[in-house]
Amino acid sequence: MPALFKPGSNTAFRVTLFAFGFLAVGGGIAGPMIYVRSPFYTQIGDPIDQPVQFDHRHHVGDEGIDCRYCHWSVEKSSQAGVPQISLCLNCHSQIWNKSPKLAPIREAFFADRPIIWNKVNKLPHFVYFNHSIHVAKGVGCVTCHGRIDLMPAVHKAQPLSMAWCLECHRAPERFLRPREEVTNMTYEVPEGHTQLEVGLALKAKYHVVSRVNCTTCHR
Amino acid sequence: MPSLKLPLWRSVEEHAGSAGLDPTGPSPEFAAPVQPVTMDRRSFVQLLGAASALAASAGCFKPPDDKVLPYTRQPEEVMPGNPLHYASASVLGGYATGLLVTAHEGRPTKVEGNPEHPSSMGASGVLEQGMLLQLYDPHRLGFVMNRRTARSWHDYLGSMLEKARELREKRGAGLRFLLEPSSSPMIARLRERLLDLYPLAKFSTWSAIPLQQINDGAQLALGAPYETRLDFSKAQVIASIDDDFLSSLPGTLPGMRAFAERRAPGESQNRLYSVETSVSVTGMTADHRLRARPSQVVSVALALAARLVPQFASLAPQKLSADQSKFVDALARDLKRAGSQSVVLVGPRQPPLVHGLVHAINAALGSAAVSYAKPVLHDLDAGPRALRTLTEEIRAGAVDTLVITAWNPAYGAPEDLNFGTALSSVPTSVYRSLFDDETAARAGWVLPATHTLETWGDARAHDGTITFQQPLISPLFNGITEIETLAAFLGEGDRSAYSQLRELYKDRADDQLWEKWLSDGFIKDSATPAEKVAVRFDAIAALAARPAAVASVGYELNVIPDYKLWDGRFANDAWLLELPCPVTKLSWENAALLSPATARELGAVQGDLIDIGLHGPPAHAPVLILPGHADGAVSVAMGWGRKGSGEQLAENVGFDTATLRHSDAPWFAAGATLTPVGRTHPLALTQQHHVMEGRALAVFTTAALFKKEPQLLEKQRGIPATAHEPHDYSHGYKWGMAIDLSRCTGCTACSIACQAENNIPVVGKDNVRKNREMHWLRIDRYFTGDDLENPGFVTQPVACVHCEMAPCEYVCPVNATVHSDEGLNEMVYNRCVGTRYCSNNCPYKVRRFNFFAYNNDYSDTEKMVFNPNVTVRARGVMEKCTYCVQRIERVRIRSSVEERPMRKGELVTACQQACPTQAIVFGDLNDPASLVSEWSRDERRYDLLYELGTRPRTAYLARIRNENPELA
Repeated sequence: MPALFKPGSNTAFRVTLFAFGFLAVGGGIAGPMIYVRSPFYTQIGDPIDQPVQFDHRHHVGDEGIDCRYCHWSVEKSSQAGVPQISLCLNCHSQIWNKSPKLAPIREAFFADRPIIWNKVNKLPHFVYFNHSIHVAKGVGCVTCHGRIDLMPAVHKAQPLSMAWCLECHRAPERFLRPREEVTNMTYEVPEGHTQLEVGLALKAKYHVVSRVNCTTCHR
Repeated sequence: MPSLKLPLWRSVEEHAGSAGLDPTGPSPEFAAPVQPVTMDRRSFVQLLGAASALAASAGCFKPPDDKVLPYTRQPEEVMPGNPLHYASASVLGGYATGLLVTAHEGRPTKVEGNPEHPSSMGASGVLEQGMLLQLYDPHRLGFVMNRRTARSWHDYLGSMLEKARELREKRGAGLRFLLEPSSSPMIARLRERLLDLYPLAKFSTWSAIPLQQINDGAQLALGAPYETRLDFSKAQVIASIDDDFLSSLPGTLPGMRAFAERRAPGESQNRLYSVETSVSVTGMTADHRLRARPSQVVSVALALAARLVPQFASLAPQKLSADQSKFVDALARDLKRAGSQSVVLVGPRQPPLVHGLVHAINAALGSAAVSYAKPVLHDLDAGPRALRTLTEEIRAGAVDTLVITAWNPAYGAPEDLNFGTALSSVPTSVYRSLFDDETAARAGWVLPATHTLETWGDARAHDGTITFQQPLISPLFNGITEIETLAAFLGEGDRSAYSQLRELYKDRADDQLWEKWLSDGFIKDSATPAEKVAVRFDAIAALAARPAAVASVGYELNVIPDYKLWDGRFANDAWLLELPCPVTKLSWENAALLSPATARELGAVQGDLIDIGLHGPPAHAPVLILPGHADGAVSVAMGWGRKGSGEQLAENVGFDTATLRHSDAPWFAAGATLTPVGRTHPLALTQQHHVMEGRALAVFTTAALFKKEPQLLEKQRGIPATAHEPHDYSHGYKWGMAIDLSRCTGCTACSIACQAENNIPVVGKDNVRKNREMHWLRIDRYFTGDDLENPGFVTQPVACVHCEMAPCEYVCPVNATVHSDEGLNEMVYNRCVGTRYCSNNCPYKVRRFNFFAYNNDYSDTEKMVFNPNVTVRARGVMEKCTYCVQRIERVRIRSSVEERPMRKGELVTACQQACPTQAIVFGDLNDPASLVSEWSRDERRYDLLYELGTRPRTAYLARIRNENPELA
């Protein structure tokens, strides 16, 4: 009976064995690294369920309410803030004040009990991010949060990883825009200019010193 | 350089040359070596599998979910993310200290001094800082109790309604109030109204740290209980007779500041003499210090009076030793020379005679620093005498209803009064307390007290300034204020303390002014005026001529208020328990302090247990040998050895001094016996921890030497030669710190302020014994000179010095400690894997390692104390001083958003903020006008361990002692 395997099979077997071993070890290391960068982990694009179906598409897109009407501490505090319930009722005591969709808002207001929202953009607790300084230096809402005006339910738009933060901190001119355009969802660089030109001019104008020391964010 | 060669030593062992540090042996800091475990192949594979599975499951598949809870109605002023600061006050011993408290979204996280308040001037003491943790203490009493069963405030009011009617019919006979010392106009008003309703009721005041002697001394010397006010800016020569005015205890802050302002070398540098039994913070700072037994302290005062007051010249000469005579002669001459620029101080514990003598001396000297004013306290006569009167009334059955708001008299009262037993026999007793303590165990009704930061109230500062207490948070444990407790007897139990307070000031302030007062925290220019008072020399002389019966048998006892627990009310505060005592460096307990000679005489060594016998059952105390202590005497700190069931941390930590105190002699007594019991007790002493191995560390010299050789320190500063390419720091900010050792008294307020600001954990006694305490900022206390019995002292705060050439950074294998472009030595917790190489390579020994997850088992209320701007570190992570980088970034961001440069004084570190003597400055070294630059150019400046070439950013200014040539 002739040999089932040619002598070369031995080499093929050894190579395969080695390749499997290499894949197992390499995959063990690379796999998690790929995983944490994938949308499965970063949750980019996953719409987050909320106790009240607040539709940014409608409020921002259709009504054109400025971001800062609700997120009013964004220019003064580290936090942009989730609005207090009484703020919802500024309008909704007048319009849609009988809507069943807004029943949880009215109940929470009259019972003086907070609505527990689910956080969309989560940072680890050892990261200290400050909204006010970014807004003051001309970083647009849309740069980090995406086209909120197109989101029926808000989802995360960017990975918010350290590498992503450093992209801008190392070269802010690539992202800066005039302060008055910060909340503009559809801002584009003026015709005839490039982002780099505009960005460099704004960087000088706003005295942007984007720091990359560890304690800039980790304290 | 003669000064640098003077021996510096930290303990008796080090002085003897056996520092207990075996360089070849392992440090107790590290765990005992683990014996290798023998294991077969199967178990090994099983464990390997289990470990991999656990590692995989612990690694997160998704980031954890987070929730956002916005307000339903936004409170005015609150902006999430930005802290708010409210003016309030702490009241200790009846005097108010103005505070500025930081609150994050409604929870107070940091206590600081109110910069505009005359009693604080922006500084704060050890106790004010420690108060914050007490607010969140989960052991606090949270409900009203009657005979140890839980009830409600309304149950209490209901039952008191009947009682009050009964008492009114009897015109208040049998109604007694035992109050905390108070200067509050509100309490005064309530007392008046209560006396209107119950004319036969009586008020007395109790404090375990009595004011009685001050009262008696003033009565004797001035004919009325006037309070002495001191202005150290007018004093060149200061002699303290047992007065610890530099210790950051209640009421000392303005004096410390004024003293320090004249501490820099030059024509106006003041000179401080101290006469004391034990070593105090003041004694450590003094230029000349005389150790004397308590009875000798009286003799020294008499001898000094005889030399300085013409009317007392005929007093019988005192029996003084040659050293003492020399000291007193030189001191008397120096005081006379300085004339009105001199002042003599007397400690509150001293007998009335010494108070009288000091009043007379100051009058004879014409001291400009002394003025007198009507007392701001309602009862200066607070102490054992008042309590004895009350106890006798109880025993005679004359007391039917006793209302106690004073802190824990059953614990603090001298043993002979047996107040606890007497209290049990009162038909109706009411006690208001933060904790279920010794007094609560014996009282009928127990009301949970509000914490200082939960209270509406008022009080006067040491100079009479009316100060307001404003709550930062609504009562966490259903607390009831002192105002409400008293108002309940006026039938106003359901009225809030705020409405009472507002009504009191209604005539004086409209709403706008009232709001301004509250936001300032005090009423400007409401200090009580100084008055001209004649000193009655005859009365003092008559008392001085009477020979005092001095029993010279046995040892003399000296009871001292504790630097951390004070009278014991902070005994359940872990921050304060763990803080090393400024003088002894002992944490987590008290000890019997003995001089080396006395210990030798007893055959006792450090840590031996001895019995201290005096009146009642002996106290078992561990021996702590303290060079500089007077021979033939033993000093014990009060406030320890608590036995209340509610305060679980305090329970049986240290020993109680109540058995040693007699109501006639609460502070000093002769005839104590000391008997070694043949057992030892391990002490948690930090004085040998983090040793920098005998180099020129705390540099000090005398004013005379320094004047002769101002270039003394030239070789200890500047930029040493280096092979490294130096980094250019000349652009932007260049952060630096400077610490003036001449100003530092070693009070440790900075250390605890740092703990509060930076979420520094407490590790417990066992871990402190293993060198594992976490304080980022430690205060080194060195003894100086060759004399073991009578050394000099120098204190030195040491935190990370932020070396430009940082040895820690070279050795970190994971880049967890790196340098910023502004010169900060940064610690990145998330990169740290805990090799501890950095700590090994740090010559300053300022890095601290989390051996355990110290922050894990915090209760829900305790978690509220955390500063949200600082990471709460996990186990296995190295940490150290960051120069309060969270404060730098906050100010940087705020100024940048507002498009302006940082304002002067806007950026202060926590230690700098707290320091009562302003010994610490921080700022930008690139700004030549900044205070830190100015100090860095000072001729007293030196760099710590300069020769190592680390180029530290923290500069030290040498301590210059202003010695009297006669005593040098």
